[in-house]
Amino acid sequence: MKKLWIALTAAFAAFSASPATSQEKLVVSVWGGNWKDGAAIIGKEFTKRTGMEVEYITGGTLDRLTKAKVARNNPESDVTYTTSHVGYLYQNDGLFEKLDKSKLTNFNDLYSSADRGDYEVGVYSYIYSPVFRTDLMPKGFRIGSWSDLWSPEVKGRLSMPDFDPSHIIIAASKLSSSTPEDWKNGIPLLLKLKPSIKAFYQSDATSQDLFKNGETPVEVMLSINAYHLIGQGVPATIEIPKEGAVVGIGALGINKGTKKLDAAQQFIDIALDPVVQQQICDFHKCSPMNKKTTVSPELAKLPGIFTTEEQWKTQAIVLPDSTYSKLLPIWKAWFTEEMMH
Amino acid sequence: MQTRPLFFALLLPSIVIAAVFLFALAEILQYSFREFIPGSLDVGGFTWANFARINRPIYFYAIVDTFWIALLTSLFTLVMSYPLAYALVRTERNWLRTLLIIAAITPLFTGEIVRTYAWMLLLGTEGMINTLLKSLGIIDTSLTLMYTRLGVVIALVQFAMPVMIILLATAISHVNTDYEKAAANLGASPGRVFWRVTVPLTMPGIIAGFIVICAWTMSAFATPQLIGGGKILMISNVVYLTGFSALNFPFAATMSVVALVSAFGALAVMKAISTRIERGTALHS
Repeated sequence: MKKLWIALTAAFAAFSASPATSQEKLVVSVWGGNWKDGAAIIGKEFTKRTGMEVEYITGGTLDRLTKAKVARNNPESDVTYTTSHVGYLYQNDGLFEKLDKSKLTNFNDLYSSADRGDYEVGVYSYIYSPVFRTDLMPKGFRIGSWSDLWSPEVKGRLSMPDFDPSHIIIAASKLSSSTPEDWKNGIPLLLKLKPSIKAFYQSDATSQDLFKNGETPVEVMLSINAYHLIGQGVPATIEIPKEGAVVGIGALGINKGTKKLDAAQQFIDIALDPVVQQQICDFHKCSPMNKKTTVSPELAKLPGIFTTEEQWKTQAIVLPDSTYSKLLPIWKAWFTEEMMH
Repeated sequence: MQTRPLFFALLLPSIVIAAVFLFALAEILQYSFREFIPGSLDVGGFTWANFARINRPIYFYAIVDTFWIALLTSLFTLVMSYPLAYALVRTERNWLRTLLIIAAITPLFTGEIVRTYAWMLLLGTEGMINTLLKSLGIIDTSLTLMYTRLGVVIALVQFAMPVMIILLATAISHVNTDYEKAAANLGASPGRVFWRVTVPLTMPGIIAGFIVICAWTMSAFATPQLIGGGKILMISNVVYLTGFSALNFPFAATMSVVALVSAFGALAVMKAISTRIERGTALHS
């Protein structure tokens, strides 16, 4: 009996000790896989500078958002890494703390597109753009404009994401001399694209599979996936159409109700440090947000890696997060109902 | 008298789980009548608009496709599984029985995603099936098997077969072979014995298997998602697209309610038909 009590006391002590330990850690909510490893670059530097450990909780974009909504003022994480337009939903629902930009020492060195308002800040960017297999498309095939996706060579060979049709809708609105807000002007053009679409992909994995096995030799693809496939030896070309490529921004925000506000601010500041930015961009093959970041020549020459204001101005299509988050559900509903059957 | 408290005590966990499940269903039901506000996680007031939207072609076809695919899958699974289950029960060779058990049950140990990815490798334009048919000179150009209803049904049939085989094997093993011997002694051919004696006696297993696979297939998600590639949509895929991509949880809830009601309706119809079939085969006389 005595042994049992000792064991129970030890177990109680062990369990009651764990919350105290987690109190000393900064908890970061992030996607799994490579994205977590990318966040760990920031975490490593953060621990080096502050001595505070970083713990990562992973999940998909929406389940993390839902968890944050359920937890509300008692958040599971202190910092959230998400896409900037999803970040808008966090802030719109009161789930993000207002950033103290005076504490972000690197803020003034950022490209303007990194400024995502008062509640989140962009850390890196990527593009969605047309990519094609050079071995499976006719010789001399190029995509100089989004309109080339409507060419006969692409018929029955194109795929695009089913979870986010914004890229093709923005492109169609631009080709129709309209703005994304007046996207309905591009509907006739979009409907003409239906015969070209062979499949819709649901994730980065299925996107890469479709392209790699040649099912869809033309894809509207995430640049990071395209570089990865090219690195694996898949003969592919990623093009920046003359109208520009649609930019996505990975952003950081601080969860409302965090008890480690200062540490969270510091984590974000470190993420914007030029040296950390360089490591993140080398790792993900994405564009930095800090102008002072040194980008290797190999990375800088890749299409969709923006390292100058000029490139941001001429090659990038960046939508305000509020517009994006309000229009995306409408685009998605229209796209599902009119393009996917 | 003393058994009653024990009975309720044993039943309590099930009651708790059922209550939680009903609460979740009630929450989905109330969400299905709420207005969607783009750009917000909050929902608006009461509306019928979500249900009015169901008659749009894509949702209507998703419902029809769900039932059609479920029926085809159940039918083909039954046809493919019966001979295997029959051989499994009736063979006198132990090695063959072991082989059949391994072949029938092993797929259960691999997940749905793994099996679906394997089918993607087989069904693709440059997949094994097309490559084989081309090398044998049967076809010149690749068959389109991916992103078609046929491709989805093929993968679902393979996915459902282990369960169907288990159910059918149980039913076949309960058949008293004396009836078959008696029929044969009275001059019935082996085919006639099979169709007029064995099949009717295994009808409860056939019906149970058909209904289980049908109900199971109605909620299929990963297989139609990956093999269908967005070109073949079942109700679960539409729920995912509207809820998790467009964040339109009210409409996703509406589609879920429609799926649930239609599944119950379909199962009630199947139950009525199966009762008639069972009566027709005079098993209850």
